[in-house]
Amino acid sequence: MERGGKPPPLHGPLMDIQFIFVQLFNGLVLGAFYILLSLGLTIIFGMLGVVNFAHGAIYMLGAYAAYTVMEVYSGSFWMAVLFSGIIVGLIGMVIESTLLRKLYDLPHFYNLLLTFGMMIFIEELIRIIYSPIGKPFGTPKEFLGSIDLGFMLFPKYRLFILGITTFLAIGIWLFIVKTKLGSIIRAGTDDSQMVDALGIDISKIFTLVFGMGAGLAGMAGALAAPLQNIYPYMGMSILTETFVVVIIGGMGSIIGSIIGGIIIGELITLGVIFWPPLAHILIYIFMAVILLIRPRGLFGRAKFFE
Amino acid sequence: MVILGVSYAMAKEPVKVGVISVLSGPLAVVGKGEADAAKMAVEEYGSVLGEKVELIIKDHAYSPGLAVERAKELYEKEKVDVIIACPNSAAALGVSDQAFKNKRLFISTSAGTTDLVARNPYTIKWNYNDYMLATTVGLWGAEHLGKRWYTITADYAWGHDLLKHFTTALKMKGGEHLGNDMVAVGTADYSPYILKAAKANPDVLVLLNVGKDAVNSTKAAVEYGLKKKAKIVHALLFEVDIKGAGIDLFTDNYVAASWNWQVDNPGAREFADRFYKRFGDRPHFMAAGVYSATWQYLEAVKRAGSKEQVAVIKALRNHTFRDMFANPGFIRAEDHLQIGKAYLLRVKKAADVKEKEDFFEIAGTLSAEEAHPSVNFFGRKVGEF
Repeated sequence: MERGGKPPPLHGPLMDIQFIFVQLFNGLVLGAFYILLSLGLTIIFGMLGVVNFAHGAIYMLGAYAAYTVMEVYSGSFWMAVLFSGIIVGLIGMVIESTLLRKLYDLPHFYNLLLTFGMMIFIEELIRIIYSPIGKPFGTPKEFLGSIDLGFMLFPKYRLFILGITTFLAIGIWLFIVKTKLGSIIRAGTDDSQMVDALGIDISKIFTLVFGMGAGLAGMAGALAAPLQNIYPYMGMSILTETFVVVIIGGMGSIIGSIIGGIIIGELITLGVIFWPPLAHILIYIFMAVILLIRPRGLFGRAKFFE
Repeated sequence: MVILGVSYAMAKEPVKVGVISVLSGPLAVVGKGEADAAKMAVEEYGSVLGEKVELIIKDHAYSPGLAVERAKELYEKEKVDVIIACPNSAAALGVSDQAFKNKRLFISTSAGTTDLVARNPYTIKWNYNDYMLATTVGLWGAEHLGKRWYTITADYAWGHDLLKHFTTALKMKGGEHLGNDMVAVGTADYSPYILKAAKANPDVLVLLNVGKDAVNSTKAAVEYGLKKKAKIVHALLFEVDIKGAGIDLFTDNYVAASWNWQVDNPGAREFADRFYKRFGDRPHFMAAGVYSATWQYLEAVKRAGSKEQVAVIKALRNHTFRDMFANPGFIRAEDHLQIGKAYLLRVKKAADVKEKEDFFEIAGTLSAEEAHPSVNFFGRKVGEF
């Protein structure tokens, strides 16, 4: 074969180890999205006790917000990510303070119904505004091309995703663990009535937490936009996998989300390399095993739905 | 008196055409084109047997269950003489069974499964089919694009079917199949699969998937540089996906097709322009198939001089026609498969797009005999009425 003078492809163990490294590294990027999404899902669940089925639709909103910032107002990609976090976070706060709030005293399944309805509502609204045809979103100019990491060539944009996710995850962790507001949130996760009794306006905290979770999902959507097509239903499949992450990590646990996200990203990748027929169901098998050994997930604590 | 009686009965009963398509949900963009094409065909044809043709359009929302309900309504309540279109293979198979039960014609234009070929005497398979798409890619591609091929396949019946026919065609032309990955529909990040494909160092990457999966797998191939090293061929690629993801993503990719408005058929261009003037877009190949099937059905009614089912089906059998869709088209009596030429299209550069939906150039043409399965390929006959 004429391959433009290139040497024939390497085979044997060296190539294989390199190949697996590339794949594992790529699995981290997959995991990054699960981390960003499950962080929001798990904080909202931990504090508000709400299983947010609209989380995938909120992620999609983030992608459309980024598209609008970039295309319509010709902003930079950095601005697009930042603004989509802020815009979608604000939308989340409005949803919490006008709709979700009214359902906290009712059984869980009412807010399930509400968030499920919100999902359909948001998706159809976007479909009407932006048309059911997707929108193009190329790799941002700043991140075109690849970087040689020594053992492989890796797309710059995927490295950027890894960087920004690490930054955000550490930021969230520091915020929750090191700040006063964070300690109130942690206290609220354990016993919101007690926090309320201590004279702290818990409802404001609830709004903030929901807004934060939505904002993270929004940023994830903005970051995903260059990797895949934007379209109104893009949040559907990733939501299922995000729930798996949250269940494996333990509902309400931040560290669980991070570890769970990495595990799922790598499991999918390893499945593709070694057991392709199992690749799609491997994560569910893993989840079932975790639930058998640790019914509350890896880092879950007793409380929720118990 | 007798003649008067007959013409009176005809005047009372116009030909009724039913169309089932997807008019809600994410795929409604495709279904709208089909509904529009049916409207245009019925209006432009005018009247047959001295009466204006009636058209009833129903939405199955891409659900096989709903499709069967709609078929029952159309055949039993509305008493339509024919149902045309119906995307989604499972849905079309359900409608075909209803056609057989009700002894009324179904012309499947929009579902690819070859299970519709020679299924029963009341079903005719029009337009593209899976064998044709996969074989066109394999036969033409192995000759013109390279010998080392890697496939990424949508993991459901349709993808498996395509893969089977594709590998057969590829081997016939001495191509080498380096590997395949079955990928779940709706996978957002194809990068692990693309990395695997890139490792095999193929000349050509075939994407046996459709819609968002075609978009997302191409995106990953661009990102990891595979698009620069290998040619990419799609089994199916819709204009809406090119519009949605931007033409740059697909430039120089190839796709198999039964039709494009730029093919050299009499009236193809004019049909596309009339369609564009009226509905704002140029028609996709599914819409063209619906227009052609509707038109040729009405022609058959005219030839039979009656809308009686068996007479019309017999008028369609072994019939050669030339229209905007097929030049020539032929409906085989043995297995009720409409055959015509097949095309390999290449996606243009953005700079070369001169008008609306001007996305493709024709890179290759296959004869009907090459592209379609032989008469006895599936070992079935349509059976008795």
